[in-house]
This record gives sequence, C-alpha cells and structure tokens, in this order.
Amino acid sequence: MTYSIIGRCARTGRIGLGITTFSLAVGGRCEGVAANVGICKTQAFPNRTNDPLGIRLLAEGYLPERVMAMFAANDREHEYRQVAIMDREGRIAAHTGSGTRGWSGHKIGADCVAFGNGLVGAQVLDGLIAGFTAKADDVLEFRLMRALESGRDAGGQGDAQSHRPERSAAIKVVDRLDYPDIDVRVDVHPTAVEELRRVLEEFKLYEEFYRERGRHPGRAIPQDVFVARLQAKRATLSSRA
Amino acid sequence: MTYTVLARCPKTGQVGIGIATYSICVGLYCNGLQANVGAAMTQAFVNQGNNTLALGLLAKGFSPTRVLDELKANDADAEYRQIAVIDRDGEAVGYSGPKTRGWSGHVVGDGYVSMGNVLAGRHVVDAMAKAYEAASSESFERRLLRAIEAGRDAGGQVGNEGHLTERSAAVRVYGAHDHAELDLRVDLHDKAVDELRRAFEEYELYRGYYRDRGKDPRNAISQAEFVARLAERKAAQ
Repeated sequence: MTYSIIGRCARTGRIGLGITTFSLAVGGRCEGVAANVGICKTQAFPNRTNDPLGIRLLAEGYLPERVMAMFAANDREHEYRQVAIMDREGRIAAHTGSGTRGWSGHKIGADCVAFGNGLVGAQVLDGLIAGFTAKADDVLEFRLMRALESGRDAGGQGDAQSHRPERSAAIKVVDRLDYPDIDVRVDVHPTAVEELRRVLEEFKLYEEFYRERGRHPGRAIPQDVFVARLQAKRATLSSRA
Repeated sequence: MTYTVLARCPKTGQVGIGIATYSICVGLYCNGLQANVGAAMTQAFVNQGNNTLALGLLAKGFSPTRVLDELKANDADAEYRQIAVIDRDGEAVGYSGPKTRGWSGHVVGDGYVSMGNVLAGRHVVDAMAKAYEAASSESFERRLLRAIEAGRDAGGQVGNEGHLTERSAAVRVYGAHDHAELDLRVDLHDKAVDELRRAFEEYELYRGYYRDRGKDPRNAISQAEFVARLAERKAAQ
C-alpha cells in the first residue's frame, strides 16, 4: 500500500521521486535516486538490494528495460515487487508483480511514471499523473507534490471497506550535483501528505539561504536574523490579507 | 547551530550519525555514510561537496587525517566549516573552523566525534560524548539518540537571542549494505529531538516486519494484520 511517482523536468533535466504510504519512514528506503544517472524504486514487498543495483546498472549504460529484465533474472520473488525505473533521459520501465496485494498497477504519462499498490483503484494513478502534468512549467518538486496530493484526493490507499491513511511521505529531487537538491521527509504522521506540503513550502523559503551561506559563508547573515526577517515578511503579508 | 555525533560502532562495524539543529530538513545534508568505507559530516557553513569527496577518498585508502587535510586544501572557505571524518576502523578526526559561529568545538573519542556550533558551551559536546560512551550496552542507534538527547539536555544551541530550539533532527545508520539500516528524520518541528525519539520508538515496532516482508513476501502478513496485532499487544500490556 503505497503510491509513488517518478518524474523528469523536460526543461531542466532534473529528476525526482514523490512517494507516500501507510508504512512508516518510507523516505528512509529510497536510495535509488542518483544525479546524472536515474531513479529506481522498488516497493510493495521490496528487496532493498534492487535499487542500488539498478542505479549501478543504469550508470553502466543499461536501459531501464534491460535493468528490469536483469531484476527478473536476479530475484526469485520478482513477482512480489513493484518497480519503476527512469533514466536521466526520461526512458521508463515499470513492473507490477502478480503477487503484490490489493489493487496494484502502474501507468506511464508525459515525463513520468505513476505506480502503486493496495490502492482504491486505477483512478489513483490517473490522479498522480493529472497532478504531475497540471502545471508542466512549475519546478519539479511542486509537480511531484501536486501529484501526491492528487493521488490522495483520488482515494489513495485502501479498498471499498476502508481507507488507509498516509503515515509517511517524501520527495527527492536531484540535479547535476552528487547531493540531493530537494530531500524532504515526513516519517511518522497521521496525514503525511498534508504535512509534506507544509515541510516543502517551508524548506523552499530557506533553500536559497542554506545554499548560499555554504557557498559564500563570509557574506552570510546568521540564521536567527534570517528567520526574524522571514517572520516580518509574513506579518506584512498577513496584515495585507 | 547544530550538534552532532558521528560514530562507528566497535561491536558491529556500523557507521552512523545523530544530529539536531535549528535549521530545518537537516537530514538532507547527512549523505556521508557508506558501508565498509566510513563516515563524514560537514556542518556549520556546509560545503555540500565535502561528504561525497571524503567518502571517495576514504574508499581509495586515505587516512581520516589526510582526508581532512584534503577537504581543507580543496576549499577557500574551509575556516567556516566544521568537519568530522571516521574510517572503517574507527579512526576519527574532527575540525572546527575558526570562523564557525558561537561556541564551536568538538571532542574526538574512540570511534566517534561529538561536535557542534552556536552551542551553550563546551559542556554540550562533552555531554554528548559522555552519553554516547555510557550507553555502550545499548544498540548503536540508541547510543546515537542518547547522545543528541544529552546534547539537548545540556542546553543545546544558544544564539544571539538565547536558546534556539531543535527544528530538525535525524539518525542514520549504515551496516553491511548499500542501503541504510536506519534512516529516520524529523524535518520541521518545534521539538525535533523529542519527536525523533517518538518516531524511533514507533518505527522500532515495525522494523523487523518491514525487513522480513521483502525477504519472504510469500509468508508476509498484511500490514493491516500486523498493526492489529500490535494494537492487541499494546492493549494486553
């Protein structure tokens, strides 16, 4: 019971993963996001070795489709896995094993692949893709965020009898550098998608400050001063509203 | 304004980090852990290229001391960084650049570095080191948590306007695999260390289940069933 989206920004070449699930701390199990290489995510009954292996194979030059074929050959329980792979050029391979539980499937859209299991139905994948493609000019992290929200609004995880809450969520985006560009997490929360939106919006306010103080420490203002300015700006905005 | 323990477990060979700070989403910067290689962390004014460079140098066979020298030589602003490097044998080095702010410093122990900046004082890093050592009978991840809790209890971070709360925190542990054995974060909270402990204790209940269902999917019970059993067990207690 998880729904995820891997997407690529055609304008910048940045790639990213958005994921949410009933399981706790899902962001701590998303190693397969590598700058200049691609993204590989195994879920449902995941074997933790797939994603690092997939990244290595992509880096060697293999196509996502070929990587998937090697996963099938390398893993006796491949039919219990759900896997999506996208390389840095946006090529995609996806697999939903017959042993995954509940409503389970994947769907490829423009610059993205949506995949999930334990869902209320195919409308969740359609929701993910609709959310991702709604504002194609927006920065990738917000497109991924909108995808998760739209997947949630389409019903998310569960079945006809019961809905399963999102208890963890994460968004990771890499650019050209070998550390994450965006990496926000919610690990244990009753409404993790809402909370992830809050964390992402807040992080975006700090993103440039954090990056610049590391690159030009001699010019950096202290963070408490930065936060005070942020609060003043917020107060001005809310008094106008 | 951050306090951290970076360590290698002498019993298991795992490498890990426990970190708490006023900054948000700090877990994003903790990418310096690698199985069979070692651990590296740069904080204060972060050079985000440092951790991957340090791991690459450790993997090539350079000593932690030499790796630290290289990080400094490679960075015009090295004096603004606070750095710890540990190799797979537990040899540890620390550096607190003279231009890091507030009270800033580190303690190097056997297989670990306790370090921080914009702190209430030296007693914060001392308390972390002491707590890490005192908890030697506990699991490695619990020792890391104990260390940052002790840092919090010793007064933590103090800025120009007084005490600064911990808004984000993380604990990450790598063992023999390419993937993390534990990777837990609190990204935006008004008491992130307390919240990290809550998340950890909750996650601990699921950890074995998450590990085993992937290894043996045919015999895995559903998570709904697992949660129901957990609730029964809690009720029985």
